Amino acid sequence: MSQALGTIAPGAAPAVPRGPRNRGVRLFVQTLLARPYVRVVGSLREPTWMISDALFPNLGMCAFVLLYRALKAPASYEALALIGGVLTTYWINVLWGMGAQLYWEKQQGQLQLYFAAPCSRLAILTGMALGGLVATVLRSLVGVAIGIWVFHIQVAPFSPWVLAGVFVLTMVALYALGMTLSSLFLLYGREAWHTANALQEPVYFLSGLYFPIRTLGTLGMVAAGILPLTLGTDALRQVLLGASAHGLLPLGLECLALGGFAVLFLWLASVSMRYLESLSKREGRLTQRWQ
Amino acid sequence: MTGLRTAARRARTAAWLGWQVEGNWADPVLFAIYVLARPLATALILAAMYGAVRSHGAPPEVFAGFFVTNAFHAYVNMVLVGMGWAVFDEREQYETLKYVYASPVGMFTYLAGRSVVKYALATISVIATLLVGWFALGVRWDWAHVQWLPLLAATAAGLASTLFLGLLLAGWSLVLTRTAMVVLEGTTLGSYLLCGVIFPIDLLPEPLRWVSLALPFTWWYEALRRFLTGHGTLGLMQRFPDREVLLWVGVTTIAFALLARWGYFAFERQARRLGRLDQTTLF
Repeated sequence: MSQALGTIAPGAAPAVPRGPRNRGVRLFVQTLLARPYVRVVGSLREPTWMISDALFPNLGMCAFVLLYRALKAPASYEALALIGGVLTTYWINVLWGMGAQLYWEKQQGQLQLYFAAPCSRLAILTGMALGGLVATVLRSLVGVAIGIWVFHIQVAPFSPWVLAGVFVLTMVALYALGMTLSSLFLLYGREAWHTANALQEPVYFLSGLYFPIRTLGTLGMVAAGILPLTLGTDALRQVLLGASAHGLLPLGLECLALGGFAVLFLWLASVSMRYLESLSKREGRLTQRWQ
Repeated sequence: MTGLRTAARRARTAAWLGWQVEGNWADPVLFAIYVLARPLATALILAAMYGAVRSHGAPPEVFAGFFVTNAFHAYVNMVLVGMGWAVFDEREQYETLKYVYASPVGMFTYLAGRSVVKYALATISVIATLLVGWFALGVRWDWAHVQWLPLLAATAAGLASTLFLGLLLAGWSLVLTRTAMVVLEGTTLGSYLLCGVIFPIDLLPEPLRWVSLALPFTWWYEALRRFLTGHGTLGLMQRFPDREVLLWVGVTTIAFALLARWGYFAFERQARRLGRLDQTTLF
């Protein structure tokens, strides 16, 4: 083809065979790094969003901690609500920054560029998750700071390695769920926005973010079997609060289940992305806006 | 008289349009689940929190007061903040705000009409939350202690203040571009904290306590606790007799009504001057 073009335009520079410079794993990793770059730089360019993302989820948490104070609950319950409050930052990011992200891209007319790019869709989703996670870790530190300096929350002695391990497992499972949600939301328009909106508080409730999940009895067990956030919250509380966490299951079992969730949701994300991409192309929904 | 009739017709049209915008994306059952999911989930969180610490001596009447005010806070979330979102959606999402301005309806009447649907949805949410509380969670009060007249007066003032502050916030959203999202979300969460919806305002730091006392919702919620459940909040609010609580509901409502009327038109003039009415930012 390049030779043919060279013939048509005599005197032009010799044609060089062109194709993607990187393929396979190298391209996957490059995409994986490029997507978070956009996300982190983008969030730095909008300082008001940084403030809102860091501060707002913690305002709700403050109200719940003060409710425990008003009900004269033991101090460990305030710590319990604080840990849950910090984790809301991640759920909000998973829901809006992952789940509804492709809907935003569609509204902005960028989604088709993702699909025209030669890289793997899964790499884009993983990059999105990575960027969201990095930004959210920084924001969630605001919640931790409020807990320490405003509410003077105290935790039991804990191993930082165990804490880091449980945290990473929770985040992998949670963001893998976000990747699955984002492929599901790909098909939808306004419904994606409304679904994300409607899922926020019910998941707070089912995850027991502000109370020991054990309080919900059988419903708590069911929630733990569906939502990685429920198990993750409970596991992190067990590490930080010990017996005062009123844990649902033994910590080891919860970690095993979180690992299972991570594998399951990563697989689901990959399968559903392929299926829904083809379906939304067939139905002409990829470029549909204002619906 | 003709002018009033015309305004009512326009507001009715705006309400119909509001209903189409809010509700035509789903079938009625799905829409009902959507409307009720958020407030019911918050109510269930409160109930579970109380359930977890009940054995530590938390009095049920204190919790009932907070549960009731949390239910009524749906008006603030849906009407007050929802009117700001209406402006934001019209401009950024659907890019139709300029057409509203080009039509004879008028933005003020249009927003008032849109608020009707939001009031209806908030009322459904309040009733559903109270019913779930009463029948499923055991959040009850003695009907013999209900003081109907002050309760109705305070509720009327509280509902009016959500409309006035909603118009003020909508005006502010006209001036702001994508920052409006942050302001609206911040108002939702800030009001939950500042109005002492689920805790006594004594627990706030002193400067915030003064801000709280200047808001009509703080007084409205205290009135709801006293005149509906029969138990006011302990602490600072105990210093105010029922009569004074009612007086402060009225005074703060009138003050915010005047501020909202002046503020809305000032913001609207500024938005026109800055060319913000059709400015989209691809948020």
